[in-house]
Amino acid sequence: MVSIRVKDLRLIYRVRQKLSLAPRKHRMAKAGGNIHGTGRNRYVTALDGISFELKAGDRLGLVGPNGAGKTTLLKVLYGIYPPTSGSVEIEGRVDALFNIRLGFRPEATGRRNIELRGLINGWTSDEIQERMDDIIAFSELGDFIDLPFKSYSQGMAARLAFSIATSFKPEILLMDEWIGAGDEAFQEKARGRMMEMTENAGISVLASHNNTLIEKYANKILHLDDY
Amino acid sequence: MGSIFADAIGDFRDGLSRWRVWVALASEDIGDQHKRTTLGPMWLLLNYLAFAGTFILIFRRGEGIPHYETYVAVGLFVWLYMSEAITQSVSLFVREENFIKGTTLPLSVYVMRLTMQSAIRGGYMLAGCLALLAVVGTSLSVGWLWAVLGLLVIALTTPAAITVFAMGGAFFPDLQFVVQNVMRLGLFLTPIFWTVGSGGGVRRILADWNSFSYYLAIVRDPVMTGGIPLTAFGICLAIGAVLWLTAFLLMGLFRRQIVFVL
Repeated sequence: MVSIRVKDLRLIYRVRQKLSLAPRKHRMAKAGGNIHGTGRNRYVTALDGISFELKAGDRLGLVGPNGAGKTTLLKVLYGIYPPTSGSVEIEGRVDALFNIRLGFRPEATGRRNIELRGLINGWTSDEIQERMDDIIAFSELGDFIDLPFKSYSQGMAARLAFSIATSFKPEILLMDEWIGAGDEAFQEKARGRMMEMTENAGISVLASHNNTLIEKYANKILHLDDY
Repeated sequence: MGSIFADAIGDFRDGLSRWRVWVALASEDIGDQHKRTTLGPMWLLLNYLAFAGTFILIFRRGEGIPHYETYVAVGLFVWLYMSEAITQSVSLFVREENFIKGTTLPLSVYVMRLTMQSAIRGGYMLAGCLALLAVVGTSLSVGWLWAVLGLLVIALTTPAAITVFAMGGAFFPDLQFVVQNVMRLGLFLTPIFWTVGSGGGVRRILADWNSFSYYLAIVRDPVMTGGIPLTAFGICLAIGAVLWLTAFLLMGLFRRQIVFVL
């Protein structure tokens, strides 16, 4: 049974003053969120006191202004950022739909890009081959699939990225904004695929600025404040 | 301390199990670097031959070393492999920032991606080196097996060196330029096209205190003499062990922090 339990989650990271030969005033890396301390001891509190529990069937909407930590929380749940304190217990395989164009190679064909993206996602060769026809069909690329990615229009590239990113059946799905792609006809098809994914996923979490969408989509809402 | 090493070993184990990812990405990288060229990656071989040919033509008479062509061909091949791997490694995690911040791939996948790239480049240079040795009539002997063992030692040390320099480069961005300059100078401060000779002097000091000399020796000496350079092998294995220990330590301590410093 899939579940997510987050208790007193806190994420604080040090804004490291990089060892550098540059003049002292140019050394500090850029930082956002809440910054505490000065000089070498500057810390950003990205998340503080976050607790929630989700069970199978839950759809959580994350809302809050820019810099409130929505994406950061998603990345903690995905395992990219390690929490500073508190606990994150997750049962089930976590998949994420953010930065769906990451890793696309302009010189490689669409078909090769499906293989590469599949490998990056951790799919086996069999899983890639299993999903290949469905991805190509859904993207509506036809014979273009064997042409280099760089020859695609923006819409075609977006359709391929969307088709790959949504071709699996996730247990736990994390989304940073609702994704869509292509022209109006494809947008409608993409909306259907997204709804199907979130309904079939054991748990899904969506971060968005679109309150109407969140109210329609989520059965639980978590407000994050930029304090 | 145990958990630090366990964490690092876990990362490498996970990274190695995803060999299809880094083999595929490295192959694409090499292809992309030579896109739209007629000769493609064969340029790697031609670059090596041009470099080696120039050194041999210019320095052959001055040095007066027997089998000088073999000496330069093998030495330059080993040097170029190490130099490219090290220079590229310093900015590795910075180049992979989008992947590191967007996926949960273990850091060792990026280390192995660069290791694989270096191996592919090295393969083309090795082909050029062997062609050059064939042209100058270097005789094949059983001693060459020691050179193969030397290459294996270098190959097995490569991921450790890449990890150490990549970690250093992530926390100390200026290291990229320090390393670039050191490697440029290293071409002249390492016995690639010159020898120590019978005397001492500056060349002796440079050869003795420059660890790259020993990596050159474990491949070049067996090809030149058929013998096994035991001391050089011992030093290279010791350096390799220190590099691996350092790599595991840095990986275990900082792998979860890298995402915050990029």
